[in-house]
Amino acid sequence: MNILFIEDDAIETMKFKRILAKLKVQHKITEAKNGEEALEVLGSADQLPDIILLDLNMPRMSGIEFLKVLKADEHYKYLPTIMLTTSQNRADLLECYRIGIAGYILKPLKYEDYEDKLTKVVQYWEVSELVKA
Amino acid sequence: MDNNKEVILLKRALERQKQARIQAEKILEEKSKELYDMTRHLKAANSKLESLLNKKQTDLSDSFMEIIDPYVILDLDYNVITMNDSAINFLGYDHRKEPINVGKMVHYDYVEYTLQAFESLKKVGVLKNYRAKIVVRDKSHKFIQINGSVIYDTEGRPIGLHGIIRDISQETEIKNLLAEQRRELNIIVDNSPLGIALTVDGKIIKVNPRFSELLGYTENELIHSTPNEITTCYDEEKCSDFVGELNSEGQDNVSMTKEYVRKDGATFIAKTNISAVRDEEGKIKFQVVVIEDITKEQELQEQKEQLLSDLEASNKNLQEYAHIVSHDLKSPLRSISALASWIKEDYHDKLDEAGQEQLSLMQEKVASMDKLIQGILEYSTANSSQLLSSEVDLNEVIALIKETIYIPDHVSVKVPKTLPTIICDRTKMQQLFQNIIGNAVVHIEREVGLVQVLFKEHKDLFQFTIEDNGVGIPKEYHEKIFKIFQSIGNKERSTGIGLSIVKKIVDRYEGDVWVDSEVGVGTQFHFTLKKSLLTEQSKSQA
Repeated sequence: MNILFIEDDAIETMKFKRILAKLKVQHKITEAKNGEEALEVLGSADQLPDIILLDLNMPRMSGIEFLKVLKADEHYKYLPTIMLTTSQNRADLLECYRIGIAGYILKPLKYEDYEDKLTKVVQYWEVSELVKA
Repeated sequence: MDNNKEVILLKRALERQKQARIQAEKILEEKSKELYDMTRHLKAANSKLESLLNKKQTDLSDSFMEIIDPYVILDLDYNVITMNDSAINFLGYDHRKEPINVGKMVHYDYVEYTLQAFESLKKVGVLKNYRAKIVVRDKSHKFIQINGSVIYDTEGRPIGLHGIIRDISQETEIKNLLAEQRRELNIIVDNSPLGIALTVDGKIIKVNPRFSELLGYTENELIHSTPNEITTCYDEEKCSDFVGELNSEGQDNVSMTKEYVRKDGATFIAKTNISAVRDEEGKIKFQVVVIEDITKEQELQEQKEQLLSDLEASNKNLQEYAHIVSHDLKSPLRSISALASWIKEDYHDKLDEAGQEQLSLMQEKVASMDKLIQGILEYSTANSSQLLSSEVDLNEVIALIKETIYIPDHVSVKVPKTLPTIICDRTKMQQLFQNIIGNAVVHIEREVGLVQVLFKEHKDLFQFTIEDNGVGIPKEYHEKIFKIFQSIGNKERSTGIGLSIVKKIVDRYEGDVWVDSEVGVGTQFHFTLKKSLLTEQSKSQA
């Protein structure tokens, strides 16, 4: 799969890469540090990603703002987007589902728990039919 | 000789007789003159009386004497010549038995006025609407009204006065009473804190001082102005409706809030009540307009609304802030936790036991800090303005809690009697029970621990009790435990926030929370929720 991982925290990126490295299936990760950078990546890429993992709380353009831009776009709106967050704010969760997301993952404290959750997410999308332009 | 003497005597006697006759003649002459004069005098008097009698008979027919109202004839010195029975009854004096002078009956307050009135009567010939107080024989005071005129003789000379008396004592009393009532009413109207105006055909005819004061015009300036000149339509629709409403039958009372324009151009808002006063035929005679300046109240209301919306905004901000802060604190903890895990995993071979142990301690501290942050977040959102109410089966809530929290093996949580289903915020209800039960289950040192959730229904309240057979709480802490960061447990995991969240949620449902506990025996946590806040009405959209 081609995964766009949008996250400003370097250690979070390390965590995700470490999880992917342990998986049997190889995936291509494209990183973006914030929403604006992610839009640049999307605009310049030859091929759109299969799924997007998006941190809710980011500087400059917040996850929700980016999500809105994404879902308003004629082409990007088909991309399954999964939110990653520490926020248990129900208002955020409702707003995300309203705009349109494919998942809302709470980051647990322990790395092992996180690894468990993210592995499941990736495996789920491995077996899912993808949009594939 | 004798003859001579005799002659002389006779002569003398004759002379004496002569003298006497002359004298007698003289007396007779005088007497007859007197008699003549007297006759003439009598004749004059007679004719005077005759003409008086004539006058009486022509001008003052007997019917006057028989009228019901008291009727009196006086001479020019106000002595009664005659009067009818009604007058005798009324005054208590009888002219046939004693001379009467009416001047003596006049009450001293009215003497001067009376003198003037009667002088004028003599001059002009008639007296109309003379009103005075008199004192009659039995000393009682009477208000009378007299219409009278002068009596003239045939030659046009005044010879007497006559008049009809009317007793107006009762009338005067009623008049005085009315005047008194009117004075009292005026006092009320003049001192009313409400502005009052009377209008006829849409024009002001009278206002009270408060009305003038409110509008800054004098009463004279306001009279004949129309309400439209001093008001603007605060509520356009109502304004135009109201004239129609008043004119149609039935609706005689209209209330509205209007804006008024003072003389100086300033405006104020007043509650206005207009009542129609109708005559016997049902036509509107007057309209009474009562206005109450509510500018201050209006301002206060607006201020209140502003404060409320400010408070709401600030509450919302605070909540967002809490979420952001908690995220910013949680994220680095996740990173630290991940890094510690990796060191443990990646450098397993190179770390000795002490190193492994220290990493585990670090993980634990990170975990307790994460818990603390979560607690603070929950506490700060426990009284967020939005309660997401829905139907909640509390039995399900307890079951969910039993799955969620850590319960030591020797402890069991039981619900002996089925709990009710209530309309409430599911998350908050779970927080409420979970914080108490979570506390209870970890503070039991007995071999068999038991935590029970009990329920009682009162008239206005639901009361819940969570009872345990744990270590108990010393009396001196019974109040303190509900304050934030006041942890009395020596367990590492207590943050001192749980029970303060409980207190906050119970407060939101206008209930109470308290504790009964004995050290070594157990603890009962009681809390109540107000039923009126657990109804469909309080249910809001999620």
